[in-house]
Amino acid sequence: MIAGALFYYQFHSLKNRLLTRVKRLRQPKYLVGAVVGALYFYYYFFRGLARGRSGGGPPGPFFAQHQDLIESVTALGLMVMMLLAWVLPHSRAALAFTEAEVSFLFSAPIGRRALINFKLLKSQAAILFSAVIMALIGRGWGGGNFVIRGLGWWVLLAVFNLHLLGSSFALTMLMDRGISNWRRRTMFVGAVAGVALAVWLWARNALPAPPAVGGTDYATQLADYGAQVLRSGPLPYLLFPFRLVVAPWFASNFSRFVAAMGPALAIIGLLYWWVARSNVAFEEASLEMSRKVSERIAAARSGNWQSMGKPKKAARAPFVLRPAGNPAVAVFWKNLISAGQFVTARFWLMLVWITVFGAMILQSQSRHAGRMGSGLAMLAVMLLGMSLISGPQMLRNDLRQDLRAADMLKMFPMAGWQVVLGEVLAPAVMLACVQWLLIVLAAIFCPDRLGSHAIPPLNRLSFALAAAAVLPCVDLIAMLIPNASVLFFPAWFQLGKEGPRGFETTGQQLILMFGQMLALVLSLLPAGVAFVVVFICSSFVFGPAGGVVAGGLAAAAILAAEAGVAIKLLGGVFDRFDLSGEIL
Amino acid sequence: MVLEAQGEVWGLSPGPGIGMVAGMDDTPPRITDAAGPQIEVAGLTKLYGTFVAVSDLSFSVRRGEVIGLVGPNGAGKTTTLRCLAGVIPPTRGAVRIGGFDMGQEPIEAKRRLAFFSDEPRLFDYLTVAQHLAFTARIYGVGNYEEIARPLLEELEIADKGDKLPGELSRGMKQKLVIACGLLHSPEVIFFDEPLTGLDPIGIRRMKDSILKRARAGAAILISSHLLHLLEEVCSHVLILKNGQKVIDGTLEEVRARYSEQSGDTNLEDVFFRATGENKGS
Repeated sequence: MIAGALFYYQFHSLKNRLLTRVKRLRQPKYLVGAVVGALYFYYYFFRGLARGRSGGGPPGPFFAQHQDLIESVTALGLMVMMLLAWVLPHSRAALAFTEAEVSFLFSAPIGRRALINFKLLKSQAAILFSAVIMALIGRGWGGGNFVIRGLGWWVLLAVFNLHLLGSSFALTMLMDRGISNWRRRTMFVGAVAGVALAVWLWARNALPAPPAVGGTDYATQLADYGAQVLRSGPLPYLLFPFRLVVAPWFASNFSRFVAAMGPALAIIGLLYWWVARSNVAFEEASLEMSRKVSERIAAARSGNWQSMGKPKKAARAPFVLRPAGNPAVAVFWKNLISAGQFVTARFWLMLVWITVFGAMILQSQSRHAGRMGSGLAMLAVMLLGMSLISGPQMLRNDLRQDLRAADMLKMFPMAGWQVVLGEVLAPAVMLACVQWLLIVLAAIFCPDRLGSHAIPPLNRLSFALAAAAVLPCVDLIAMLIPNASVLFFPAWFQLGKEGPRGFETTGQQLILMFGQMLALVLSLLPAGVAFVVVFICSSFVFGPAGGVVAGGLAAAAILAAEAGVAIKLLGGVFDRFDLSGEIL
Repeated sequence: MVLEAQGEVWGLSPGPGIGMVAGMDDTPPRITDAAGPQIEVAGLTKLYGTFVAVSDLSFSVRRGEVIGLVGPNGAGKTTTLRCLAGVIPPTRGAVRIGGFDMGQEPIEAKRRLAFFSDEPRLFDYLTVAQHLAFTARIYGVGNYEEIARPLLEELEIADKGDKLPGELSRGMKQKLVIACGLLHSPEVIFFDEPLTGLDPIGIRRMKDSILKRARAGAAILISSHLLHLLEEVCSHVLILKNGQKVIDGTLEEVRARYSEQSGDTNLEDVFFRATGENKGS
């Protein structure tokens, strides 16, 4: 009866969630997102399957030649992961339930075993989904077809999940018997080290010496040596149960798969028996875990990936906030604090000092400075380029973080443009500070010559100054674009607990990403034109180095003007912003 | 019966604040006379798609008046409050706070109000002291430390300055929200279920605080299902049903209207008669 009720809950939750998503497709923004997302998944995952290519076929020559070794190494990997489950955990066993499940089920007349069964049943949905995704992603791996690999993944994940649960119960029992975490870890690691030592001694005595590092055909010789270690002596016995678990994934055809599934299912049965028989109190730890998970989910869905929950320690204010002045500065100040402990002027200045001082010392080591310096300069330039793309995605302490606090922001006696300016300033300034550091590094380590072209110090300095002027303005625009998306499409930023997920979310994210890239390119075009025109004109007067600086300043001015107009326009949007309409 | 304040209570000291917008920068001169309504609502309508949440609502609240907003669930109380506080724009109609139109001059209107929602909403990453500094800058309260210090002492959170909201109990969070809300000495205060989650001492203090702010000249609007609270603190009452005003007036007026010849009609009886709900067994 209880099992029926729990199954009913699970089934209808899943069904209602799916129905909600389907109903949501009546709104064009979700429909468009779903279509784009579906096309994306089709293109990357299902196209091969639809054309009849399941990713199977004959395995590659390396796989065919070394299948036994690969199987053994995979089993060894699984063994190590399972052993870690006995070493790493430090808290009592806790099953992840939602807060609603805790509220309904923990006070209901349901036995502990029924709760475990429910949890296992629930985890099956996630395991099956993961198995399908892994089978789709790893189309080119292994020798079997899509179905065999999918079921093989299911066996692996199910065994891992059951073992994790069983080991957490066993560790809790050890804790209840007064065995501390460190005592248990010491004993366990000692035992594992003893076994590893025995295997090593056996290999040293029974096998020829391992191949010398760096010799010719070192990789093949090492593979052969590894195969010998894994094939003879004590390791095959140690790896036997783990090989049984990975065997279905490696099955090259259906008959081998069926033969491999028998022992694998027996292991799953044994693990289930072990978990179900464990009589461990997990309720209290589960309560705490469900609370933490809820907080993390809420933080993540609000876009606050950085904190993923409530901060544990108060962060120092980046500067003293005076009560008089533009209130936008208060929002900027607040968002800098939200970024964490290290976002202070003192920390940044210390970082600049260390960078410059360290760079100078490295430069003075003339013997190694040349190649390493060029490498560092190249790395700094690459990171600068990457920061323009990934920076606005990583630094989200703006409206993306504050969307859930939109009610509070709306109540403040501030003009919309002030709110928008305050919101985007913090990530833009943080990104600009990082970029300035990179510019300093690139300028210091820039080689004197690039191929046949000489790069005199004056040119380095002019490029650095131009970049230092332009990049903060680019950052401001790059931050404004996702913030504009928040104001125009707030529902795409996953409001509330039942925020959109699935195909439509992927599609929406893709559309947003391409939209943001397009907007960035379009906004950079006028600045690019201004740079070229001013560079050409001023080069006649100030020379090329002066031209670059003048061009950079002109481009920065254009970008700043664009950002100003965008902030004013978005401020108007914020003033009219009605979140209640989006929630409904 | 109206409770008399005993001893120090939340917001007891109106400070330099109420009605004077003390310490604020760039405050334009008041455009309404002191006796005029502080809250004026005219034809307020809010639609969510085709759903009418609030329909053609009009009322006004003067200085020192405390109006109770009551109605069954879904009557439009919270939507009304959110429109009045400038959180959401009304579909039609006008809201004036302290003489300033919320649609035309939202910044001046918002400077004069405080909205306390049923859940204390705070920034997780700002400490108690940082919340006050932040609020002071937002509202331009130049001498905020002078105002905040006694306020925090009254609220018994003066020693929690470096604590994050996550380290505070619900009651303390609510106290912090009150401190932030009263920092700029608002002339108009909105409460949405102000007693949610408070212990008996907290309830008593909150009621006393509401009365004290009203006596100091604030216009107060309270939305609550706790009719006995409203009976204790409100001078006026407004009953909503399905987004429409059923009745408004002083407590005596609405009691008289629904007394049905029995002399001792309370607000609960009025509520059930006005809304046509069954009182149940």
